[in-house]
Amino acid sequence: QATGADQAVGFGLVAFSLLLFAYYSVWVVVLPFVDGDHVLNKYFLPREYSVILPGVAALALLLFVGTFITAVMWKNRSPKKVD
Amino acid sequence: EKTVGGLMYGKRLSSLLQVVFPGELAAEGVIMTKLMQWLFGVSLLAVVWALTAYDLLDLNLPQTYRDVAWPMPAYLLVSFGCYSLAVIGYRVATFNDCEEASRELRMHIKEAREDLRKKGLRF
Repeated sequence: QATGADQAVGFGLVAFSLLLFAYYSVWVVVLPFVDGDHVLNKYFLPREYSVILPGVAALALLLFVGTFITAVMWKNRSPKKVD
Repeated sequence: EKTVGGLMYGKRLSSLLQVVFPGELAAEGVIMTKLMQWLFGVSLLAVVWALTAYDLLDLNLPQTYRDVAWPMPAYLLVSFGCYSLAVIGYRVATFNDCEEASRELRMHIKEAREDLRKKGLRF
Protein backbone atom coordinates (compact mmCIF):
# COMPACT_ATOMS: atom_id res chain seq x y z
CA GLN A 1 0.00 0.00 0.00
CA ALA A 2 1.48 3.32 -1.10
CA THR A 3 1.28 6.45 1.04
CA GLY A 4 -1.32 9.14 0.36
CA ALA A 5 1.14 11.51 -1.32
CA ASP A 6 2.46 8.75 -3.57
CA GLN A 7 -1.07 7.82 -4.57
CA ALA A 8 -1.97 11.44 -5.30
CA VAL A 9 1.13 11.94 -7.44
CA GLY A 10 0.71 8.61 -9.23
CA PHE A 11 -2.94 9.00 -10.13
CA GLY A 12 -2.24 12.64 -10.99
CA LEU A 13 0.33 11.44 -13.52
CA VAL A 14 -2.13 8.91 -14.93
CA ALA A 15 -4.86 11.55 -15.23
CA PHE A 16 -2.47 14.05 -16.83
CA SER A 17 -1.26 11.55 -19.42
CA LEU A 18 -4.81 10.48 -20.28
CA LEU A 19 -5.86 14.12 -20.66
CA LEU A 20 -2.86 14.90 -22.83
CA PHE A 21 -3.51 11.86 -25.00
CA ALA A 22 -7.18 12.75 -25.43
CA TYR A 23 -6.45 16.39 -26.29
CA TYR A 24 -3.69 15.48 -28.72
CA SER A 25 -5.86 12.80 -30.35
CA VAL A 26 -8.64 15.28 -30.95
CA TRP A 27 -6.15 17.80 -32.27
CA VAL A 28 -4.43 15.45 -34.71
CA VAL A 29 -7.05 12.86 -35.67
CA VAL A 30 -10.44 14.53 -35.27
CA LEU A 31 -9.78 18.15 -36.18
CA PRO A 32 -9.02 17.56 -39.90
CA PHE A 33 -12.55 16.17 -40.27
CA VAL A 34 -14.11 19.27 -38.71
CA ASP A 35 -15.09 22.29 -40.77
CA GLY A 36 -12.68 25.20 -40.74
CA ASP A 37 -15.15 27.61 -39.17
CA HIS A 38 -16.38 25.27 -36.44
CA VAL A 39 -16.23 26.38 -32.77
CA LEU A 40 -13.87 23.48 -31.95
CA ASN A 41 -11.06 25.19 -33.86
CA LYS A 42 -10.95 27.92 -31.24
CA TYR A 43 -9.45 25.55 -28.66
CA PHE A 44 -6.50 24.36 -30.74
CA LEU A 45 -3.38 25.96 -32.15
CA PRO A 46 -2.72 25.77 -35.91
CA ARG A 47 -1.91 22.26 -37.15
CA GLU A 48 1.80 22.72 -37.70
CA TYR A 49 2.24 23.26 -33.98
CA SER A 50 1.02 19.70 -33.35
CA VAL A 51 4.44 18.56 -34.60
CA ILE A 52 6.55 21.56 -33.59
CA LEU A 53 5.54 21.52 -29.91
CA PRO A 54 6.31 17.80 -29.31
CA GLY A 55 9.56 18.30 -31.19
CA VAL A 56 10.55 21.19 -28.94
CA ALA A 57 9.48 19.20 -25.89
CA ALA A 58 11.54 16.19 -27.01
CA LEU A 59 14.58 18.38 -27.60
CA ALA A 60 14.20 19.99 -24.18
CA LEU A 61 13.83 16.56 -22.58
CA LEU A 62 16.93 15.20 -24.33
CA LEU A 63 18.88 18.28 -23.32
CA PHE A 64 17.74 17.94 -19.71
CA VAL A 65 18.56 14.22 -19.56
CA GLY A 66 21.93 14.89 -21.16
CA THR A 67 22.86 17.62 -18.69
CA PHE A 68 21.58 15.51 -15.81
CA ILE A 69 23.68 12.49 -16.79
CA THR A 70 26.72 14.70 -17.40
CA ALA A 71 26.30 16.38 -14.01
CA VAL A 72 25.95 13.06 -12.20
CA MET A 73 28.95 11.54 -13.98
CA TRP A 74 30.96 14.66 -13.25
CA LYS A 75 30.10 14.54 -9.58
CA ASN A 76 30.84 10.82 -9.27
CA ARG A 77 34.08 10.78 -11.22
CA SER A 78 36.58 8.80 -9.21
CA PRO A 79 40.12 10.07 -8.72
CA LYS A 80 42.66 8.29 -10.89
CA LYS A 81 43.78 5.02 -9.46
CA VAL A 82 47.46 4.71 -8.70
CA ASP A 83 48.87 1.35 -9.67
CA GLU B 1 31.29 -23.12 -8.51
CA LYS B 2 30.03 -19.90 -9.95
CA THR B 3 31.25 -20.24 -13.52
CA VAL B 4 30.10 -23.83 -13.82
CA GLY B 5 26.73 -22.99 -12.36
CA GLY B 6 26.37 -20.02 -14.68
CA LEU B 7 27.27 -22.13 -17.68
CA MET B 8 24.82 -24.83 -16.75
CA TYR B 9 22.10 -22.30 -16.18
CA GLY B 10 22.85 -20.70 -19.53
CA LYS B 11 22.66 -24.04 -21.29
CA ARG B 12 19.43 -24.92 -19.59
CA LEU B 13 17.93 -21.54 -20.42
CA SER B 14 18.93 -21.72 -24.07
CA SER B 15 17.57 -25.25 -24.45
CA LEU B 16 14.35 -24.07 -22.82
CA LEU B 17 14.15 -21.18 -25.30
CA GLN B 18 14.68 -23.61 -28.16
CA VAL B 19 11.78 -25.67 -26.91
CA VAL B 20 9.54 -22.63 -26.66
CA PHE B 21 10.59 -21.05 -29.97
CA PRO B 22 11.73 -23.99 -32.12
CA GLY B 23 14.06 -23.01 -34.92
CA GLU B 24 13.87 -19.32 -34.25
CA LEU B 25 16.39 -18.88 -31.48
CA ALA B 26 19.17 -21.16 -32.62
CA ALA B 27 22.18 -19.77 -30.73
CA GLU B 28 23.83 -17.62 -33.44
CA GLY B 29 22.11 -15.12 -35.67
CA VAL B 30 19.28 -14.49 -33.25
CA ILE B 31 19.96 -10.79 -32.89
CA MET B 32 20.50 -10.35 -36.60
CA THR B 33 17.18 -11.90 -37.56
CA LYS B 34 15.31 -9.87 -34.96
CA LEU B 35 17.06 -6.70 -36.09
CA MET B 36 16.20 -7.48 -39.70
CA GLN B 37 12.58 -8.12 -38.78
CA TRP B 38 12.40 -4.80 -36.97
CA LEU B 39 14.07 -2.89 -39.75
CA PHE B 40 11.77 -4.49 -42.29
CA GLY B 41 8.65 -3.64 -40.28
CA VAL B 42 9.76 -0.07 -39.63
CA SER B 43 10.68 0.60 -43.25
CA LEU B 44 7.36 -0.87 -44.40
CA LEU B 45 5.52 1.48 -42.04
CA ALA B 46 7.64 4.42 -43.22
CA VAL B 47 6.84 3.67 -46.85
CA VAL B 48 3.10 3.42 -46.15
CA TRP B 49 3.28 6.66 -44.18
CA ALA B 50 5.12 8.52 -46.94
CA LEU B 51 2.74 7.20 -49.59
CA THR B 52 -0.26 8.43 -47.61
CA ALA B 53 1.09 11.70 -46.30
CA TYR B 54 2.59 12.92 -49.58
CA ASP B 55 0.31 10.96 -51.96
CA LEU B 56 3.33 9.65 -53.88
CA LEU B 57 1.23 7.30 -56.02
CA ASP B 58 -1.06 10.16 -57.13
CA LEU B 59 -4.13 8.36 -55.86
CA ASN B 60 -5.92 11.68 -55.34
CA LEU B 61 -6.38 10.97 -51.67
CA PRO B 62 -8.62 13.51 -49.95
CA GLN B 63 -6.62 16.33 -48.36
CA THR B 64 -8.15 15.36 -45.02
CA TYR B 65 -6.49 11.93 -45.08
CA ARG B 66 -3.14 13.48 -45.86
CA ASP B 67 -3.64 16.01 -43.06
CA VAL B 68 -4.24 13.14 -40.63
CA ALA B 69 -1.40 11.00 -41.92
CA TRP B 70 1.23 13.72 -41.94
CA PRO B 71 1.72 14.13 -38.15
CA MET B 72 1.41 10.37 -37.51
CA PRO B 73 5.07 9.81 -36.46
CA ALA B 74 4.76 12.59 -33.89
CA TYR B 75 1.37 11.24 -32.85
CA LEU B 76 2.76 7.74 -32.26
CA LEU B 77 5.66 9.21 -30.29
CA VAL B 78 3.33 11.30 -28.12
CA SER B 79 1.05 8.30 -27.57
CA PHE B 80 4.01 6.20 -26.47
CA GLY B 81 5.10 9.00 -24.13
CA CYS B 82 1.62 9.26 -22.63
CA TYR B 83 1.47 5.49 -22.15
CA SER B 84 4.88 5.46 -20.44
CA LEU B 85 3.86 8.34 -18.18
CA ALA B 86 0.61 6.57 -17.26
CA VAL B 87 2.44 3.33 -16.43
CA ILE B 88 4.94 5.20 -14.24
CA GLY B 89 2.11 7.01 -12.46
CA TYR B 90 0.16 3.81 -11.94
CA ARG B 91 3.21 2.00 -10.55
CA VAL B 92 3.92 4.93 -8.20
CA ALA B 93 0.32 4.96 -7.00
CA THR B 94 0.21 1.21 -6.35
CA PHE B 95 3.74 0.83 -5.05
CA ASN B 96 3.96 -1.58 -2.17
CA ASP B 97 5.39 0.34 0.78
CA CYS B 98 6.68 -1.99 3.48
CA GLU B 99 6.19 0.30 6.48
CA GLU B 100 5.88 -2.57 8.93
CA ALA B 101 9.15 -4.09 7.72
CA SER B 102 10.81 -0.65 7.80
CA ARG B 103 9.80 -0.14 11.42
CA GLU B 104 11.07 -3.60 12.28
CA LEU B 105 14.39 -2.99 10.55
CA ARG B 106 14.87 0.36 12.32
CA MET B 107 14.19 -1.37 15.63
CA HIS B 108 16.75 -4.03 14.84
CA ILE B 109 19.35 -1.40 14.01
CA LYS B 110 18.63 0.40 17.25
CA GLU B 111 18.93 -2.80 19.23
CA ALA B 112 22.19 -3.70 17.54
CA ARG B 113 23.62 -0.24 18.23
CA GLU B 114 22.69 -0.44 21.90
CA ASP B 115 24.13 -3.93 22.14
CA LEU B 116 27.40 -2.87 20.53
CA ARG B 117 27.63 0.24 22.70
CA LYS B 118 27.19 -1.95 25.77
CA LYS B 119 30.14 -3.99 24.58
CA GLY B 120 32.25 -0.86 24.38
CA LEU B 121 32.15 -0.05 20.66
CA ARG B 122 32.19 3.67 19.85
CA PHE B 123 30.69 5.00 16.62
